[in-house]
Amino acid sequence: MTNSGYTVHVENLTRMFGTFKAVDNVSFQVKPGEIFGFLGANGAGKTTTIRMLCGLLLPTSGKAIVAGYDVYKDTEAIKRHIGYMAQRFSLYEDLTVRENIEFYGGVYGLNRKQIKTKTAELLDYLKLWEHADKLTASLPLGWKQRMALSTALLHNPDLIFLDEPTSGVDPESRRNFWMLIYELSEQGKTIFVTTHFMDEAEYCHRLSIMRDGKIVELDKPQSLKQKYKADTMQDVFMKVVQKVEA
Amino acid sequence: MNQILLSIIKKEFWHILRDPQTLVIILLMPILMLFLFGYAITLEMKDITTVIIDHSKTPHSRQFIEKIRSTDFFNITGFNIPESQIEDIFFRRQARCVLVIPSDFASDLQTEMRTKIQLIIDASDPNAANFINNYFAQLSMRYNNENNPRLAMPFSVEPRIFYNPDLKSDYFFVPGLIAVLILLISALLTSIAIVREKEIGTMEQILVSPVHPVQIIIGKVIPYTILGFIDSILILLVGHFWFGVPVIGSIVFLLFALVIYILTGLSFGLMISTITDSQQMAMMAALLSTILPTIMLSGFIFPIKSMPLIFQYVSKIVPATHFLEIIRGIMLKGNTLLDLKVQLGYLFGLAGLLILVSVRKFSTKLE
Amino acid sequence: MHRILYLIQKEFRQILRQRAYLGLIFIMPFLQIVVLGFAITTDVKNVPITIVDEDHSAMSRRLVDAFSVTQSFDFQGLSQSSNQAKEVMKRGLVKLILHIPPDFEKDLKNNVHPKVQAIVDGVDGNTAGIALAYVNQIAVKLQQEWYSEMGLHPEELLEVHLTEVETRMAYNAALESVNNIVPGILAVLLMAVTAFLTGMSIVREKEIGTLEQLMVTPIQNIELVLGKVVPMLVVAFLLFNVGMLGAGLIFGLWMKGNLFSLYLMLVFFCLSTLGLGIFASTIAKTQQQAMFIAWFFMVFAILLSGFFVPIENMPDFIQMITYLNPVRYFMVVIREIYLKGTEIQFLWKEGLAMLVFGLVTFISASLRFHKRLN
Repeated sequence: MTNSGYTVHVENLTRMFGTFKAVDNVSFQVKPGEIFGFLGANGAGKTTTIRMLCGLLLPTSGKAIVAGYDVYKDTEAIKRHIGYMAQRFSLYEDLTVRENIEFYGGVYGLNRKQIKTKTAELLDYLKLWEHADKLTASLPLGWKQRMALSTALLHNPDLIFLDEPTSGVDPESRRNFWMLIYELSEQGKTIFVTTHFMDEAEYCHRLSIMRDGKIVELDKPQSLKQKYKADTMQDVFMKVVQKVEA
Repeated sequence: MNQILLSIIKKEFWHILRDPQTLVIILLMPILMLFLFGYAITLEMKDITTVIIDHSKTPHSRQFIEKIRSTDFFNITGFNIPESQIEDIFFRRQARCVLVIPSDFASDLQTEMRTKIQLIIDASDPNAANFINNYFAQLSMRYNNENNPRLAMPFSVEPRIFYNPDLKSDYFFVPGLIAVLILLISALLTSIAIVREKEIGTMEQILVSPVHPVQIIIGKVIPYTILGFIDSILILLVGHFWFGVPVIGSIVFLLFALVIYILTGLSFGLMISTITDSQQMAMMAALLSTILPTIMLSGFIFPIKSMPLIFQYVSKIVPATHFLEIIRGIMLKGNTLLDLKVQLGYLFGLAGLLILVSVRKFSTKLE
Repeated sequence: MHRILYLIQKEFRQILRQRAYLGLIFIMPFLQIVVLGFAITTDVKNVPITIVDEDHSAMSRRLVDAFSVTQSFDFQGLSQSSNQAKEVMKRGLVKLILHIPPDFEKDLKNNVHPKVQAIVDGVDGNTAGIALAYVNQIAVKLQQEWYSEMGLHPEELLEVHLTEVETRMAYNAALESVNNIVPGILAVLLMAVTAFLTGMSIVREKEIGTLEQLMVTPIQNIELVLGKVVPMLVVAFLLFNVGMLGAGLIFGLWMKGNLFSLYLMLVFFCLSTLGLGIFASTIAKTQQQAMFIAWFFMVFAILLSGFFVPIENMPDFIQMITYLNPVRYFMVVIREIYLKGTEIQFLWKEGLAMLVFGLVTFISASLRFHKRLN
């Protein structure tokens, strides 16, 4: 851990694709145990930021320390300490639920015995016992997302990146998913989540609004609503966008 | 109606032009292959590695060896090695054949009517072995003719070679390559044309508009026909001007036949596209069902008449078989439409049938 | 290191779950060997021939008979005139015309040495050359028969001295094309599985997003690569053995040489093809692109490997290019071991070339294979 006390510490982070600035001079900090939200339209730069923080993309310039490690040098160390769930469902559809858990357990370096107990734990938790030996492809999307989250947690990371975890999922499943996120937060884990759903934004402890690669607002949802004199995050978002355009 | 068709065609053209990477692959790859394989594929043997063991060591045997040296078919890599090493020579691949002139060669040649020379060929490549054997048979015949001036055969055979007097491999393989490359390219092009739109979902959008399946199919075929046509003209130019393959027959007729052939390939690809569900499957199916038959069973390299009867029938189904007869016929023999009406008719019929099946398959899938 | 085991286990589960893979492993080699083994033959036989007989004598009929009974020619009947015969050739119905002049028999008897014309369709130069050789063979046989009948003077006969080449075809006495083709097919199949499937399977993970998920795990590059490569190697090895079994059962073609030498060479060879597969996957973004790349390289690798066309026949600069083709080396090795039983000490150059080539492609491909997105 760094002495700054922040789980994620980002200063002037920039990423170019050719001449296009996907992420433009972004700075923010995330505290341990926080649910930190990234709100923005598609193409605002949310996924690019997350990918840089996970060590999937090298930044063009700027500084970023994740879980105490530098994203330029210590990407492999970062990977041991974070969980990551990509935008698209990315478990193996042609493996069964149990096999997926076993595989990722193995990849994260758990031994046979640990994997066995972990599997039982997860299946209990997800109430997936009867589907344990079915192909993942046959599960409804909402369950797949929860499963993907659980496998991202197999190595018990302190920091979890979720990139649009609930896109394409029905409202009921979305609520269930957020209950999971809260549980994790209560266990002391830091959650970094991106979304374009306004209602979900309200569940975050702190929220940053991104537009064209820049962070245009960063505060608690409640404070943002007061600042813009709005009842819902929807209104806040519209007003922020209008302000930027004006 | 015409307006709709036109906009579909325009849309296809945009797709093609906006993807310069693929366009370059489509236009350049066949030409590159023609260059490479136009040179690489030749069945004429040269530089045949040969070891000669002369037990006779007489002027007669030396005269015979001189005959071998004087042709450029043979490359003598060893001389008078002990006979026990012959197998070793083959294992080391230092020679494809070993010629052994027996010690009584000279004496036999004066007393006997027939004198034997032993030739051992590594026949693990039977085609090459055949060639080598023929070369030596010819050599010995020439030697005999020179040394028996009074020998007069009861009759003689006077060979004449039509269409390709120098028996150039290029004349045979370059038109063949044109036929193979064009079919592979055109089938691959359309095999993913419909399936791709299915996969990315744009097909749904087109389908809810008042477009008839026939229009979609034709709208897909026309731009690719033009592309394939440009491709084949490029290939033809290289074949004619670089490799010097003549075009004896009518060029107009050749281009006409090309369009029909391209249509056949495209419609085959289209049919694959309508019956498969993913791009991957479509490409696999297109590759598997075109490469093998087009190269192996069409008479491109291997003579159809030498195959077992059942494969001779199979080869009749393969479009390339018929187009090979057409293109070789027009370019090398000056065949006219009348000579090739059967082959052309088959290609035309096949293209029509395949398009019909595609439209059918396509329409029923919508319901 | 035990992470690799999980990767391998996962890969096998996926393979076993895909019927197409299993079909590929067990049916493809059989099918290819049967179709290609039977269909591909470079022997020339059944060359369609027509004869114009302007003599209609007993001797000319003997000539016609000699050409109509042989396997080499497929006699399509007599033509009425030279022009008719040429027309038939132009339409591609015959490849050879034998033209017997009028007064053939009379000239024979009067020792005028008549000339029989053999017109061959030269479009397929290879077939044409061989067909002419057949014509000569038959002619020589008849000439010898007729010598004695025509009554050659004994003192003339004494002055005739002929050399005769007596050929022994080593390793393949019957000149079966199959023997040459089948080991070639095995080599091509090996390449297809190792290069093509490896590349495709990585690009597929890229497309569906699972590769991204793997990239944020602590897996090391080399583990990721080996996890892909080892299962493919096992599949290729199985396929190879099934193919060998098929060749033996169907064509009675069993391997002459040492099985373990061949296996060793196989590993060297696959190192380079697996490397190529990984390399292709680092270039291609979509499965479609991967297909195109793979297609080009396969055709290139097959045609320039010596599979159909001996490399010595090619022009020098093409021969230089073939040295970059790993299949070229394996083609020699497998044919030598399979057909001649050549010992490994005669093949070390090819083995070394494959090993070096393999290590270079494999290592450089693995280095290119980043755990980062581009």
